[in-house]
Amino acid sequence: MSLIPPSAPGVVQREFRTRLAWATVVVVGAFLVLLGRLYQLQILRGDEYKEKADENFVKELRVPADRGQILDRRGKVLVDSRPSYDVTLTPAFCGKQCDEILSRLATLLALAPEEIERAQGLLAGAKKLERFRPFTVKVDVKREELDVIEANGMDLPGVDVLPTPHRSYRYAGLGGHLIGYMNEVGGEELKRLNEELARTASPQGNYQLGDYVGRRGLERRFERDLRGVDGKKRVAVDAKGREKEGDLIAEENRLVPARPGHNLVLSLDWRLQELAEKTFPATAGVVLAMDAKTGFLLALVDRPAPDPNKMSGRITSAELARIRDDPLQPELFRAIQQHYHPGSTFKAVTSIAALEEGIFKPTSTVFCPGHFTMGAARWRCDKESGHGVVDFTHALGASCDVFFYQAGALLGADGIAKWGRRLGLGAPTGFDVAGEVPGVIPDAAWHDARIPGGYQRGMAVNLAIGQGDVNVTPMQQLVFYGGLATGVIWKPQVVLRVEDADGTVLQEFAPQERGRTEIKPSTRETVLKGLLAAVNEPYGTAFLSRLDGVTMAGKTGTAQVVKIGAHRLKAEQMGYFQRDHAWFAAFAPADDPQIVVVVLNEHSGFGSSNAAPTAAALVKAYFEIKAQDEAERAGAPAPRPAPPPAPEQKAAPPGRADRPKLGALPRPEARHGA
Amino acid sequence: MAPEVSLATTAPRRTFAHFPWPLALIVLSICALGIWNLASASRSAHAPVWIAQAWWMGGGVLVALVVLAFDHRRFQRISWVFYGVVIVLLLLVFVKGRTVMGARRWIGVGPVNIQPSELAKLAVLMALSSWFHWDSERRKEPMGLLGIAVPLAITFLPAVLILKQPDLGTALIVVAIGCTMLLFARVRWRTLAVLGGVALGGALLAYPNLKPYQKKRVETFLNPEGDALGAGYHAMQSKIAVGSGQGLGKGWAQGTQSYLSFLPEQHTDFIFSVWAEEHGFAGCLLLLLLYFGLIAVAVDIAGNARDRFGHFLAVGVTAMLFWQTVINIGMVTGVLPVVGVTLPLMSYGGSSVIAIFVGIGLLANVGMRRFVN
Repeated sequence: MSLIPPSAPGVVQREFRTRLAWATVVVVGAFLVLLGRLYQLQILRGDEYKEKADENFVKELRVPADRGQILDRRGKVLVDSRPSYDVTLTPAFCGKQCDEILSRLATLLALAPEEIERAQGLLAGAKKLERFRPFTVKVDVKREELDVIEANGMDLPGVDVLPTPHRSYRYAGLGGHLIGYMNEVGGEELKRLNEELARTASPQGNYQLGDYVGRRGLERRFERDLRGVDGKKRVAVDAKGREKEGDLIAEENRLVPARPGHNLVLSLDWRLQELAEKTFPATAGVVLAMDAKTGFLLALVDRPAPDPNKMSGRITSAELARIRDDPLQPELFRAIQQHYHPGSTFKAVTSIAALEEGIFKPTSTVFCPGHFTMGAARWRCDKESGHGVVDFTHALGASCDVFFYQAGALLGADGIAKWGRRLGLGAPTGFDVAGEVPGVIPDAAWHDARIPGGYQRGMAVNLAIGQGDVNVTPMQQLVFYGGLATGVIWKPQVVLRVEDADGTVLQEFAPQERGRTEIKPSTRETVLKGLLAAVNEPYGTAFLSRLDGVTMAGKTGTAQVVKIGAHRLKAEQMGYFQRDHAWFAAFAPADDPQIVVVVLNEHSGFGSSNAAPTAAALVKAYFEIKAQDEAERAGAPAPRPAPPPAPEQKAAPPGRADRPKLGALPRPEARHGA
Repeated sequence: MAPEVSLATTAPRRTFAHFPWPLALIVLSICALGIWNLASASRSAHAPVWIAQAWWMGGGVLVALVVLAFDHRRFQRISWVFYGVVIVLLLLVFVKGRTVMGARRWIGVGPVNIQPSELAKLAVLMALSSWFHWDSERRKEPMGLLGIAVPLAITFLPAVLILKQPDLGTALIVVAIGCTMLLFARVRWRTLAVLGGVALGGALLAYPNLKPYQKKRVETFLNPEGDALGAGYHAMQSKIAVGSGQGLGKGWAQGTQSYLSFLPEQHTDFIFSVWAEEHGFAGCLLLLLLYFGLIAVAVDIAGNARDRFGHFLAVGVTAMLFWQTVINIGMVTGVLPVVGVTLPLMSYGGSSVIAIFVGIGLLANVGMRRFVN
């Protein structure tokens, strides 16, 4: 076999010398470029890339803070949080399989078509970094569903189960309008809320899509207090988003605990509230009870009220549509958001105006033939046969219309309006929940501006008995009768104090006066006599609701909703929405009023039969409960066989025992043991 | 004609006295680092691929020794046979190749799958050495366009076949080897200029015909941050891995990018980013020095070859090592677009390891016999 002969020494080497020199330059150059690049990446920009590498695998999970509880005045829990589990999906981690995984989730969780559609929309809409943000597929999954998801965890990349404390309204719709509810924060709202948080340098984290926010009532008003500060849990994940065991993240950096929100202590006494709910027969209406000496509410019934547990994102669109279309308007907070004719309860205003303006003296009388005429117009009295000669006491007690027609005709709209406004009507009461309407106390100018043909003298006749264009809210009635009772026009309040989770008081609300009634003592005495007669005299309209042992003063009202025809019909003979509203406003005891009660029973007919009994029951219960509490406080055995409290137990605030410790919500780890 | 020289006259003792110890030392050092690094890279995978790699390297050393046993001049004619076999294998890939991730690159031979494209690099450099040797013995003038037709054909026939698999990276390396060797043959400057012009024009014309993923890679290279989650993902994550290694690295088996699967192809094409993440700039400097040393030794061997065939062989192997190293590290650090090129002796892969060891064997062979006549 022939082999290549070697070249003469040096020949080949010479031939290639220059080329190898060039090659060496290229090689050295290339390596210098690589070295330079490595220097740039690792030394110059190393910190930046280190950070990026950490961001890559550190996933921050939010540990939602427990929202503050809402308690009644004795510490009874009305609203708290219970653990629930939300299923989320992170688009970046399910990658190309997202659609497939979503359809499997739909089967596992029995998603409704609209839920699937929504999730598909979010999947398609997520671009770039948004794809790393998990979105909620289903809230509050059932226990069995949770187990199925966990069992299939490996085959469901990007799917997480997030433990979320869910709001639990223990008494459903009771006090519903006042307490409010929560639901998902909207896009615009999110921006606004976060800007506000930034502006006030709040330690609370930003709101995120899918978060719940207090929507109505106290949940909304005290959102910032109730909302806690979210914590963080850092976990290591691989490129597919699966959690990795190990100590990639230092122990002390793994968890930043959440701080629970603050608690609201209300002035409501839930024993009274429940009694009011039970004794109030109305389909729609309001019961309000107020501490006459402070202006704090003791009970607030407002019907109908949707169940806040449902309204908080657990409601189907069909159910929601049914609520929205309901002619009873269940979403209306009637106590402050609806105008009503006060009916005969307004006669107290007319009385004061007549006495203060000097039109009538306390001793004045009017003959009631059963009707009142002015020019060609004729007004009927409530009693067609007439009351005969009546004074203030009888007119208020038996609710004679003619007496007040006469007063109204002499006062004119301006005279009535002047005193209505002085007594706190026609302006918001200042109750600290959004959406309060101001009421209407019309004077002549008001009529001129709004009514075709302008103000007519006859209009004052209607105003005098709380008809025509005079409008009040139940809350205004409460404040006005409170003013009659004590002379103070209170700003009605319902939150006694804000406490932190340990019970330390952070903010305490003091009683606030809006003004004083400033009427002559003789005026007050005259009106009070009438109100006492209404309840305690046999001819009184609320005589059937009188109480033993407690002197109650009150006034019934029957507010006409439609014009009465030729014949007065009984309530049962009319359609629901044609029936009159029944009012009853009262306070007790008459000589030193402690409680003010207003009852409005919509479309139920007469105030005497459909509103007064509830008020009477409430007043009665109030004093019974008070006596019982006083007995307990004095250490004497209560009527029921209670164990004698030890001296040190007396120091503890009463009624706190049934209040669970905050933060007692089981953590996610705990549920495996359950 | 020069007198015939038989192998018998070569005293083995004298030959092995010239055994290129530096070359062996550098190669074995890189191999050791490579296995160590693979052991870390395969933490998250179920198969400890570093053991397989160690076996392949052991085999590689044996192959290199076998290659060393024969005088490299014996390979001159065998080159053509080898070239022929490789072309047949490349064609066979299309007929009965195994498809992995959309590419047919492997054919089963007994229990192992071999990648003929790795062998093609050797076949091309050996065939070209043989051709240039034979051609330059009788050529007086530098090569013109006609003269370079044959070497170009030798290069592009396998390159096109490999490109069709598709395997852009290996095809590129084959062309790079061919072109480098062409520069070492005597070619007219004017011809080179024309060739360069044609190559540039060809690239521009070929661009529209690239596969979409290949196009995407080029676009991504030009604007890597533009699509951090799509095609730019690999480039971005690789840079993050390299950069996050900083000065001294995160430590062996402490890399998060590799452990948590953020790196694509971390055992093969992107093995360098695992190294860079865990050993930092210091480790990279060490590895670059080793590769530089390897190539410097190779260049030295090429410069001192006793005959043209040996010279071209050495140049070819040097080109293979150089281009693979530079393109791979350049790609991992984001200097070059992402193409599938392995890092010699660091990347996992039997065919690649064997091919590199055959190359090393040829280099050592040439180096050892430079004083032989």
